[in-house]
Amino acid sequence: MPGLQQSVAKCLAEWVVPFSNGRILLSPVCCGPEACRHSFPDCWIEAVVTDQTDRRADSARAPLVRAAAQQFAHKPYSLVNLDDVVAAVDVTRGGMYFHFPSKQALAIAVIDEADKLGREAAAGVLASKLSGLETLIDLSYLVAVLDLSDDMARAGLYLLESIGRADGIEERSLRELVNALSQIARRAVDEGDIAAGRDPDDVARLLVSMYIGVRHTSDLDAPRQFLLDIEKAWKLLLPGFANPERMGYLQQFVHRRTAVALGKMTLPNC
Amino acid sequence: MTVRQARSEVTRRKIIDAAVGLFNDVGYSNAGLGDIVEHAGLTKGALYHHFSSKEALAAAIIDEGSDILLKTFQSISRSPAPALESMIHGVLVVVEMANTDKLVRMGAVLLRIFAKFSDLSTTNYGVWLAEMATQVRRAQSEGDLRAEIDAQKAADFIVSALLGAELISNALSGGADVLERVTETWELLLPAVASEQSLPYLREYLGRESMRRHGRSAST
Repeated sequence: MPGLQQSVAKCLAEWVVPFSNGRILLSPVCCGPEACRHSFPDCWIEAVVTDQTDRRADSARAPLVRAAAQQFAHKPYSLVNLDDVVAAVDVTRGGMYFHFPSKQALAIAVIDEADKLGREAAAGVLASKLSGLETLIDLSYLVAVLDLSDDMARAGLYLLESIGRADGIEERSLRELVNALSQIARRAVDEGDIAAGRDPDDVARLLVSMYIGVRHTSDLDAPRQFLLDIEKAWKLLLPGFANPERMGYLQQFVHRRTAVALGKMTLPNC
Repeated sequence: MTVRQARSEVTRRKIIDAAVGLFNDVGYSNAGLGDIVEHAGLTKGALYHHFSSKEALAAAIIDEGSDILLKTFQSISRSPAPALESMIHGVLVVVEMANTDKLVRMGAVLLRIFAKFSDLSTTNYGVWLAEMATQVRRAQSEGDLRAEIDAQKAADFIVSALLGAELISNALSGGADVLERVTETWELLLPAVASEQSLPYLREYLGRESMRRHGRSAST
């Protein structure tokens, strides 16, 4: 934080800067550099030290969440050892507890981060302004590819089921998701892709159940199979609510999304 | 961003918005820097701090407009859709935007005015040709675009045809029928570039696009 160093330099030139809890409080006591150093040696030293601790702590938070995601994505919650998390980022346990007082707090941070990731990615699909049902299909493939390729997304979804129940986080997240998908499904009814008379809420709930279900019955470590299972699920579900006249097109639409997703998964580092 | 940078950005925005409004009302050549300053409620000094001349202001509008369009197109290309679908859809979205967003529209108008007198058009169209060529290559690897076609030539051809459609629409109907014209252009382009097995699906995709747009403009 060069800004703070400049403030310290400015303190030496003009002000005495007492520090409390690492926050700068400008005190209107004027003094020269030497007077400042002599009268308030602790202040000056503390300023530098506080600066460094803060910097270390700030920069540790994001890597801790990433390292935790790596663990939570591949192990059940109860088997994740926090020693593995701190070892991966070279932070002491104390350093970690400064940000996350418990394993649960760390897990909730992962859920939040995954949620942010999902929303950002979804915003891109929504901004594309495709038809409602096409948007719903695209969103499912977007989530599937994230789930397969990004530890943060995968850990977030696992944790939502394992620890989300405790604080009602899971219920809240799923309700928000169903509401959002339901609005898109309503549009699909208006556009005639979803058969008239189908309840958009039911369609939204069915799609969320489908995805969560496939996550359990398929294998995220076998990307090809997972994507083919998502395709099969869509092809079985579509006749349940889609307009029969559009079925041929929609089945192809699903098939083409599967092909693109499969292509993405065979690329390295995707 | 510091407070000072933020304030400076607000001033810059004010100048650009005022210029877009004025160029739109009285035309680029009739708008003086004095009028722009007056509309923005600023001083000449503030304007000159950001733009050294009217041409520099025009260049900024062209760049910003072009940037908005390109980012929109790229964001659509990143969606889970196959490349050729993204190309069809992205072009229609971008054309619609160029018709409705004031800044983007003025950017396109100014780009035409400056086309022969500066390298702005070379840079701007060059970016589009490169972007389109990337998508064409992807569409080829996905089997939608015929493999024997040269990707860069196909990209140049598609961009030229679409820009031409937009130009004619602007000349003949003031841009009112631009979406129909661009859709018709795609209808003619698809049989020329699409693979045999994908063509029926892509025609249906395009048909749905234009139907949805008609539905939307009819309901609003």
